[in-house]
Amino acid sequence: MDLSQSTPALGRSHLLVRAGEQVCALPVAAVRRVVRALSVHPLPGARPELAGLAEFAGEALAVLDLSRLLGAPLGPHPAFPVTVVVWAGPLERREAVGLAADEALEVVLIDDAAVVPGAGFLRGDAMVGARLVRVLDLERLGEDA
Amino acid sequence: MSAASYLLFRRGGGLWGVASDEVVRVAPHAAGLAVEAGATAFAADEVVGVVAGLAVRPLPLFVRRFWSEPGAGLALHAGEPLMIVDPRQPPPPFLSPPEASGGTPDV
Repeated sequence: MDLSQSTPALGRSHLLVRAGEQVCALPVAAVRRVVRALSVHPLPGARPELAGLAEFAGEALAVLDLSRLLGAPLGPHPAFPVTVVVWAGPLERREAVGLAADEALEVVLIDDAAVVPGAGFLRGDAMVGARLVRVLDLERLGEDA
Repeated sequence: MSAASYLLFRRGGGLWGVASDEVVRVAPHAAGLAVEAGATAFAADEVVGVVAGLAVRPLPLFVRRFWSEPGAGLALHAGEPLMIVDPRQPPPPFLSPPEASGGTPDV
C-alpha cells in the first residue's frame, strides 16, 4: 500500500511522533525529513516553545519544542533525539520548521471522520488502535491551541 | 538589512552579528565584552571575528511568532545559524548593563 497518497476511503496518511507523554500525528505530505536531533542554538528571550535555531540544508531553521507546543508533560527523560522537519504555516507563506521530538513511530491512515475536533493548530484527537493521538494542522501551527 | 561585513559575537549560547560599519569599539565589560554600535552597547561573551558576504534573510515566521525581540535577519556562518541585530532596535536581552559607578549612594 502506498501510504504517501491520500486515500479518502481509508483516511489520510500521517506520521506518528512521540513528544513527551503524548503521541501526535503529522500529515505525511508536510513532512520534509526526519533526522537525528539537530544542534540547536537557543535564542535568549524566546518563548519556551521555540527551542532555538539550527542549520538544516544550508539554511537557518527554527526548531520548536513539540512537547511544549502541545502542552504535554515532558516525560522522565526529555532529550528530544529526533528532529522532524516539516512544512508549516499558512499555505501561501509556508516555511520549513523543525519539531524537536522523542521518536518517530510509524505511518498510519487517519479518517477525517474519526477526528474529534480541537482548536487552533490542534485539529483534534483520534484513536489509532488503542492509542489516543493528537492530530496537528501544520498550516495553523504557531497559533494558540 | 544587508551590510558588506558583520562583526560576529557570542552571547547566551548563540551567535550574533552586527554590521561592522556600525561598530564603534569593543571593550572589556564586567566578565565579558561590550560591543558598542551606534548608541547601543551589546553584551558579548566572545567576539568571533568579522565576516563578509553573509547571506542575510528575513526572520522566519516561527521565529517572529515565538521570539518577540527585533532581530534584523538570519544567516549562517560556518554551518551555525546567527541572528543579525540592529543597533537602532537592540534586543533587550543583549544590552550591556551600565558599569556600576562604584561610588557610595547619597543617603
